[in-house]
Amino acid sequence: MAACGLFRSLSSSVAAVLPLLARSAPLSPLRLACKPYVRRTVASCSRLSAALKFTDKHEWIRVEDGGIGTVGISNFAQEALGDVVYCGLPEVGTQLAQQDEFGALESVKAASELYSPLTGEVVEVNTLLADNPGLVNKSCYKDGWLMKMTIANPAEVDALMDEAAYERYIRSIED
Amino acid sequence: MDDGRRRRGEGPQVNRVPRCLVFDAGVVMSNIRRSSSLLRRFLCWSEVQSSRTASCSSSLFLPDSDVGLVLKSQSTDVFQNLALEDWIDTNVDLQQRGVLLLWRNRPAVVIGRHQNPWTECNLPAMRRMGIPVARRRSGGGTVFHDLGNLNLTFFASKKEYDRRRNLKVVTEALRRVRPGLDVQATERFDILLNGHLKISGTASRLSRKSSYHHCTLLHSADRSALSAVLRPSCAGIHSNATPSVPSPVANLLDHAPTLQWEELLDGLVHQYNTEFGLSSASSLVDPMDESTFPDISRMEKELRSWDWTFGKTPKFSVQTQLELTDSSARCSAQLDMEVKNGLIQSCDLHVPADWLPARLSGELATSLVGERFCPQRAAAGVAALQRAESDELQSRLHILCDAVMSAMG
Repeated sequence: MAACGLFRSLSSSVAAVLPLLARSAPLSPLRLACKPYVRRTVASCSRLSAALKFTDKHEWIRVEDGGIGTVGISNFAQEALGDVVYCGLPEVGTQLAQQDEFGALESVKAASELYSPLTGEVVEVNTLLADNPGLVNKSCYKDGWLMKMTIANPAEVDALMDEAAYERYIRSIED
Repeated sequence: MDDGRRRRGEGPQVNRVPRCLVFDAGVVMSNIRRSSSLLRRFLCWSEVQSSRTASCSSSLFLPDSDVGLVLKSQSTDVFQNLALEDWIDTNVDLQQRGVLLLWRNRPAVVIGRHQNPWTECNLPAMRRMGIPVARRRSGGGTVFHDLGNLNLTFFASKKEYDRRRNLKVVTEALRRVRPGLDVQATERFDILLNGHLKISGTASRLSRKSSYHHCTLLHSADRSALSAVLRPSCAGIHSNATPSVPSPVANLLDHAPTLQWEELLDGLVHQYNTEFGLSSASSLVDPMDESTFPDISRMEKELRSWDWTFGKTPKFSVQTQLELTDSSARCSAQLDMEVKNGLIQSCDLHVPADWLPARLSGELATSLVGERFCPQRAAAGVAALQRAESDELQSRLHILCDAVMSAMG
């Protein structure tokens, strides 16, 4: 998702948020600037065991039974974004091409566009996020999923990064 | 951007300084020609339809990396200026250098990406005053624009996205043009004058490769108009849309009476150059010039559309009591509605049956389902219900309809 290009200027903030996944108060940007940088991995946010694939925009997709993909944003993304205050998600039935804008997450940082990881049709959106947008921060791989979509072109899934490749990708951005 | 909810008894009204945009046509045209060619040297025409990533030819970059780009919009139309922001965000390669855009609008209310216009502003008053509402693509709160309110948009790559640094440009510029002016940026990225009066609010957007941060700056806005429009259209709305944070506001001109508009802009441009180590002269641009900004009129049309402005409102419900009075009786009715994408999904009208038969209030409620949440549409729906009822029932049906329409702003 779009917020993750912020990383260089927010690298110190990543460490600041690491122990504070369950925090309720938003971190002040002034305080964020002063913490030391610490490396961390994708695994800091617990997730289900089914294999995740990742885009370079820090979205993940998990292919479920029946060829439906569940989409969300990675731990890296939710940390960069800060506290989510609103999830703007698409209508069920929306047709999306890969990389189409499909919504936006609003946080104290900005309104950050969301880009479809695949080509397909939206079949479900996470209605819990309407009243509890913070689920995206608290449980980005599980309860904070954003939408489910059909997979028109399975080759697109194969081309995405697996978890190991994504971790290498994050490290390359951090360096 | 969420400056502008003025509390009652906030202080004397500002005497509005007339703002006249008087252009020497010859100077304007040569400026626009110069700025168009300057723009073409900066711009990377991304092929949005055919390729997913903006492709840039290095021959489009100027050799001097210290030449920035400062644009002033010639337009005072809020939709044209928002489209210009969209266009720059989508089409300009911001990886090497940023862009500063300065703009102002004729009176308008601008709501944030995920806000509810019915709760944020007084749509009936705005219709009477000819003031449009626009939804921007960035987040944040609701703001009143007029010719005394300067907008600054700092476009940058996502790596260079730094709101604090941008606001430092503004506060430093103000301190330079008027030493001793007490202006401070807050943790919420507002700028306060004298510690408590808001003169600037901020909002931003992050997209595929780029970012923009825009902020307002109250120079000489009409505070009484601001106060009149930044109040809800109707009561009883329950919504999870992002709310505005009301703040007492002030105009710079009230506290620095000799600070004229042009001096303010010159100071800001100078400070932008100083902060970012650039040497940019400002260029006037016409957002409606399709030769410089291809496809911009499509963007403007989308921003102007009902579907974007109202249809993008997060789902909300309305629960309100209607007071119904005619010459012989008065009673209260209960209106419950669910609105999604700006359209009425469900409508329940509980009217005492001895005032109006349930079949009539039921038919009115049914006629509204699927319509836009909009008083004109309600009126059209009721017209279809005119039948051979008694005078008294017809009159009460009208009264009920008027009450329902007022509940929709």
